[in-house]
Amino acid sequence: MLVFVLLPLLRLYGSQSLTTLTRIAAVADVRAAIWLSLKAALLTSIISGVMGIPLAFLLSRLSFPGKAVVEAVVDLPLTIPHTVVGIALLFVFGRTGIIGAPVNTLTGLQFWGSLGGVVIAMLFVSAPYTVNAARVGFEAADVRLEKVARTLGAGPWAVFCRVTLPLAWRSILTGLMLTYARSVSEFGAVIVLSYYPMTAPVKIYDLFLQFGLGDSSAMAVLFLTVVLALFILLRYLAYGGATFRRSRP
Amino acid sequence: MSLSALELENVWVRAGSFVLRDVSLSLDKGQVLVILGPSGAGKSVLLETIAGFYWPDQGRIRVAGRDVTRATPEKRRVGFMFQDYALFPHLTVGGNINFGLKARKGSGQAGRAEMEDLLGRLDLKLLMERKPATLSGGEKQRVALARALVTAPDIFLFDEPLSALDTRAREDLCSELKAFLRESGIAAVYVTHNQGDALILADRVAVIRTGQIVQTGTAAGVFGAPADEFVARFVGVENILEGRVLSTAEGIVAVELSPGKGIEAIDRGSARSDTVLVCIRPEDVALGLTLPSGSSVRNHFPGRVKAAQTMGPLVKVTIECGFPLLAYVTRLSFLDLGLEPGREVVASVKATAVHLIGFRR
Repeated sequence: MLVFVLLPLLRLYGSQSLTTLTRIAAVADVRAAIWLSLKAALLTSIISGVMGIPLAFLLSRLSFPGKAVVEAVVDLPLTIPHTVVGIALLFVFGRTGIIGAPVNTLTGLQFWGSLGGVVIAMLFVSAPYTVNAARVGFEAADVRLEKVARTLGAGPWAVFCRVTLPLAWRSILTGLMLTYARSVSEFGAVIVLSYYPMTAPVKIYDLFLQFGLGDSSAMAVLFLTVVLALFILLRYLAYGGATFRRSRP
Repeated sequence: MSLSALELENVWVRAGSFVLRDVSLSLDKGQVLVILGPSGAGKSVLLETIAGFYWPDQGRIRVAGRDVTRATPEKRRVGFMFQDYALFPHLTVGGNINFGLKARKGSGQAGRAEMEDLLGRLDLKLLMERKPATLSGGEKQRVALARALVTAPDIFLFDEPLSALDTRAREDLCSELKAFLRESGIAAVYVTHNQGDALILADRVAVIRTGQIVQTGTAAGVFGAPADEFVARFVGVENILEGRVLSTAEGIVAVELSPGKGIEAIDRGSARSDTVLVCIRPEDVALGLTLPSGSSVRNHFPGRVKAAQTMGPLVKVTIECGFPLLAYVTRLSFLDLGLEPGREVVASVKATAVHLIGFRR
C-alpha cells in the first residue's frame, strides 16, 4: 500500500530536471496559481470552521426528528462526482444562478471567474471533513463535564469555550486540516464553476494541454513540494511535534 | 432564617419518557440525605432536577430558602459530584479548582487565605500542577470537593460517585467523605443503589422506585422498619416470609409462619392486617448448636444447615427449619460451630429484630 502511494510520487520527482523546475518556477502565472490555491483553501477552511463547528456541536448534542437526514446531507458531497458538483453549483452561483444573479445585482460580487467561485467550489466538497471530525470531537467530550462546569457557575457559552471546545480542539483541528487538504487538491468542481482565476491544479491541467507532460509535471512537483512542506509544518504546529508519538488519553 | 438546606414540594418532572412523580423532600442544614433506589428508578433525574438540568412541570424547589425552581444551574449554588468525579481532563488540579472562581468572577468566592486553608485541609497543595489522569481515587475525590467548595455551595449533590470502585476503596472514600461533610457542615444529597454507602453516610434515607419516593426516614428507621417488600429487599432484608397474625397482646405480636411454627415480634403497630410479611435481616439471626438457656431471646428454630457460602469476612448460611432462613455468621464461628450442610443447629432471633409489614393479597 505504502509503495503504491509513494512510487508514483517518487517517480514524479525523479523525472524532473533542475533547469525545467527553475524555469517553470520563474513563471508569474504559475506562482500566482499556487498562491491562489493556498489562499483559497485557507479561506475555505475558515468559512468551513465558522459554519461547520456549530453544526457539528448541534449534531453531537441534540436529537431531533430528521437528524439522520441532516447527517446524510452533510456527507452527500463526498459521494458526488466533482464535475457534477461544479455543474450543480453553476445553477446556483453561476451568472444566471438563483443566488449568483441576485447577489451580483445587489452587491457586485460574482462567483464566476473569481476567488469567490473557487472558494464556493472548494467549500462544497471539503466542508464534510470539518463537520464530521468536529462532531467526533464533541461527542468524545463528556457531557458530565459540561454539567459540572454549569454548577460551578459557568453559563452555557463559558462552558462551551472553557470545557467543550478545548476538549474537542484536536479533532476540530484535524478536521480543518483535512478540509484544507481537500480544498488545495480540488480540481473538478473548481474547473467547472470557475476556470479563471486558475488554481494550481487547473493551471497544471492547462500546462498539460498546451505544453505537454514536461512543463505540467514540473509545476506539479513545485506545487506538491509547497503543499507537503506546508502540511508538515502545520502538523508540527498543531500537535506540538508529537505527530509520531502516541498521544495519551 | 430558614434551617432548611433543601426543600422539594410536590415536584413533577418529565424527562423523556421518564416521569418523576410528586416528590417532596426536605433536608436540614448539615444533614446528609441518601436517596436509595435501583437503576432506572429516577435517582439521577431527581438529582439533576435539584441541580437545575431539568425544570419541574409542577412543584417548587428551594435551596437554603431561595426559590430556585426556575433558576439555571449556574445560579443555584449547588456542588455536583458525578461518578468518578468528572474532573476536567485538560486542566491541572489547580485549573480545576480555580474553574469556579473564574466563572463566578468574584461573587461569593473564597478569599486567598480561605483558599490556602482549603488546600491545606484537603491536602492538595502538592498536587496543584498534576493532571487528573495521574491522580488516585481519593485524590480525585478531594480535588472534586475543593473544586465545588471554592464556589461556596449551599448543598452538595453526589451522583453515585463511588460506584466504579471496589468495595474496599469504596468504604475508605465513603468514610473520608463522611468526615469531610461533618466538618464542613454543608448539607448533601447522595444517590446510590448501594446500601453500604447509605449506612455510612446517611442522616436521612429516602427510597425511590419508578419515579416515586416510597419511604423516607432516618437510616435506622428505614433499614429497621421498611414500609413494603420492595424497600425491605432493597435495604438488605433477605428473610421475607409470609405469616398469619395469631394474636396481639402486651406489645407482642404472635405470627404463624407455617403450621406449628410461630414467631413473636415487638408490636410497632405496623401490622394491622391478618396476613403479614415477616422481615428478618440475616445478620440478626444467631446460630447455636443447642437451645440457649436463660436468654431473653424469644424465637428459637431448630433446623438443619442446607447450604453455606463464603462472602468475604462473613459466611451466608441457609437453614431449613420448617421454612428457609438465611443467617450471616463470621468465618470464625462458622468453623467453631462446624456448620457444614446437614448439621443440626438452632437459629435464634430477638423479637425486636423481627419487623412486620401489613399486607393484603
